[in-house]
Amino acid sequence: MQEVFVNMGQIRGLAGAGILTTVGLGSCVGIALYDSSARVGIMGHIFLPRSRPDRSAAELPGKYADTAIPALVAEAEKLGAQRHRLWAKLAGGANLFSNLAGANGNIGQQNVQAVLEHLKLYNIPVVGKDVAGNHGRKMRFYVDSGRVTVIAIGKEPIDI
Amino acid sequence: MISRKVDFLRELGTIGMGHATTALSEMLQGKLLRLEVPDVRILYFEELAEYVGGLDQVVAGVFIQISGDVSGHMAFILPVESAAVLIRLLVGDGQEHGVFDELGRSAIAELGNIMVTSYLNALAALTNLVMKPSIPGLAVDMAGAVWESILAGAQVDDEVTLIRTEFFAEGVAIHGNIIFLPGEDEFRKIADVLGLGAV
Repeated sequence: MQEVFVNMGQIRGLAGAGILTTVGLGSCVGIALYDSSARVGIMGHIFLPRSRPDRSAAELPGKYADTAIPALVAEAEKLGAQRHRLWAKLAGGANLFSNLAGANGNIGQQNVQAVLEHLKLYNIPVVGKDVAGNHGRKMRFYVDSGRVTVIAIGKEPIDI
Repeated sequence: MISRKVDFLRELGTIGMGHATTALSEMLQGKLLRLEVPDVRILYFEELAEYVGGLDQVVAGVFIQISGDVSGHMAFILPVESAAVLIRLLVGDGQEHGVFDELGRSAIAELGNIMVTSYLNALAALTNLVMKPSIPGLAVDMAGAVWESILAGAQVDDEVTLIRTEFFAEGVAIHGNIIFLPGEDEFRKIADVLGLGAV
């Protein structure tokens, strides 16, 4: 089966079948958007919560939660999905380094928060998530069924 | 401009890394045999995944924040196999220690701390700028997760300066990455002090 890897900041989509995989999510948030009727799946690998006004996010909108969600939805529609049928599953947003928490919480938390806020603007429900904690994750998204599996070192894989 | 910056960083990196590995060698009581010339490069965000490779391989990463005249972040990342060799050389009590047990973890955190601190001391001596390291944070996890957490922690979303070094201890190759992540302004500060003008 075709497996497409989604690196930091990237957005990739498949229709019908195949696997979308993101490897090594730390503070980043992996997001799977799915339209089960159209069998269209889109995956993003979001790095930071907000794009910076002094820089163009146009090259890689998938880097930031605020620019990634619109780009993910647009990509889903391009592959034949309908916006009102989309749901989302999330993984990641961890805090690997205990010396890194700031006044506004850690970056993992901020990423999850920002993704949830922007999904809400599109009325996209979050039907599954495995976020936070202090460990890395690998996320596999099966586009034929919408199943999402999360793998972590020393843990049993789980379906979300 | 990019090539001047690389030259400048290679120079800083070589000096810093020289000090860091000397400190390591002392810790290992001279067991460190050979140090390769560090490979310095500036990578764009998009190129990182390929450069890091083996994103789900396990690595140990030590992350330190820098404050003072120059603020920024530094990290020391090495594969678990290399970490295990160093832990054996450092602890050497005949027991098997790894990056997942307490003694092994604190040995790697301390080692990363010493390497980063010696690197900073070399830069500080050269520039007369104060650079104070924070206490080290340690993560042992998938390479992808460790790298991205470090970059996100430093808010680096454009280009990354990497100094990769390889050294041999007791005939075993140990690969380590020291990553220096100052902001653009901080680069300029260092370059100004050294009379290098715009880099």
